[in-house]
Amino acid sequence: MPDVPPHATPRTHRGLTLVIVGTLSAAVAFLGVVQIRSQAEVARSLAGQDNTSLAFLIDDLHRANEELGVQESELTARRDRLRASGGTAADPALQDEGQKLRMVEGLVPVHGPGLVMAIDAPLSRLDLEDAVNNLRAGGAEQMAINDHRVIAGTVFRQSGNGVAIDGDATHGPWSFTVIGNQDRLAAVADLMTQSLRSDRRVRQATYHMEQDVTIRATVPERPFVYGTS
Amino acid sequence: MIASLRTVDRRRVAGFSLIALAALLVGFGSAAQLRSQLVTPYNRVERNQALVRSVQDLERTNAVERGRIGTLRGQIAGLEADAARRSDQTRQLEQEIANLRAHAGITPLRGPGAGVEIGNGPPSGDGQISYLASYQDVQDVVNLLFTGGAEGIAVNGRRITPLSAYRGSAGTVEIDDGPPLTAPFRVAAVGDRGQMEQLLGDPSSLGDLRHRQREFGVKFSYGGSPELHLPAFDGSLDVPDAEPA
Repeated sequence: MPDVPPHATPRTHRGLTLVIVGTLSAAVAFLGVVQIRSQAEVARSLAGQDNTSLAFLIDDLHRANEELGVQESELTARRDRLRASGGTAADPALQDEGQKLRMVEGLVPVHGPGLVMAIDAPLSRLDLEDAVNNLRAGGAEQMAINDHRVIAGTVFRQSGNGVAIDGDATHGPWSFTVIGNQDRLAAVADLMTQSLRSDRRVRQATYHMEQDVTIRATVPERPFVYGTS
Repeated sequence: MIASLRTVDRRRVAGFSLIALAALLVGFGSAAQLRSQLVTPYNRVERNQALVRSVQDLERTNAVERGRIGTLRGQIAGLEADAARRSDQTRQLEQEIANLRAHAGITPLRGPGAGVEIGNGPPSGDGQISYLASYQDVQDVVNLLFTGGAEGIAVNGRRITPLSAYRGSAGTVEIDDGPPLTAPFRVAAVGDRGQMEQLLGDPSSLGDLRHRQREFGVKFSYGGSPELHLPAFDGSLDVPDAEPA
């Protein structure tokens, strides 16, 4: 039987333990770093946006929250007046709301600050729909195209070289009459006209601001046939 | 004897600690090095995280404010209903306004209709989704549904109003003053079910979306329903610059 040093077995154990402790520590550290970084990546992928898009989103949400705050204050004041009056304040409040909703739904003529944009180009149904959306996203509150009142439910159909707006055929040159915040509208109108002028189909794309534009066109009331409140 | 054992134990503990510390450092270092080669530099991630946190905070505020607006509208309707029970004139006004509110989308709507789902394309080999559904897809579908006789529409539970506008980027859609919505986008429309289904099935409609469905796997499906429920709009319909002419 060979001689075995009395401390050989403990040394082997200690070496093995050291290797295990070291490996485990390294693994824990590695996983820790990976986990922290992964969480950062998850947050980023959840948003799925680059920093510029996020900055725009923050700007949009700030503006949206401000608008919601204004609406909340108005509704709170209205509720408190109703409570305080024991119901007698209901009629004027309902009349006021009715007037606003008729404007929103395009049922009555409106006026206010805004702009008039002139585009001489063979615009298609899709071009008009995009232009309407760009203007509305840029602050348009009320709008008419070639004296046809336009709301979100307005139907555009291609009609030969022209476009039928809610069934009425019309064609270029196009005149957009828009009411809304003039600062925001000017910014979007600048972008739109610059972009249009780079299109060879476009003969003219200009706009001018007006302190008071009037939209006389209205949309007819459409009673619900299928929907129930 | 005891003292020498204690000395051996202390040495052993110190040895373990040193090795553990060194291994930790090696682990941290190698992981950080590996990750830094694979991902965006950490300061950029941090900046992005800060922006994401801001968005999330603003979204929470947005949800709270919309919730309060919904509650306030409910309270006001209740108080007006009480007043209408005491006055014929108020009752008549209330009925008129109820109709206007329904058309503006600030009350719920139910009825037959059609539903459309639009989703991002499948991930490519590197796990990234190359073909995203966009706000323009949603806009085109909503416009088509109105053409087909929709009386009310909601997108992912967000009600469309006469003033609605769409914007967004990279697979998100923002509608009016609501939070960003992410794909899949579910568009529900109450109205003429048959006509809406016919238009949705017409191969000449929604050309861009159908093309990207064929070529890049962007998802587009639709179907009719005998009963759909649309929520009320819970945002602002203020038009501060417009006045009746």
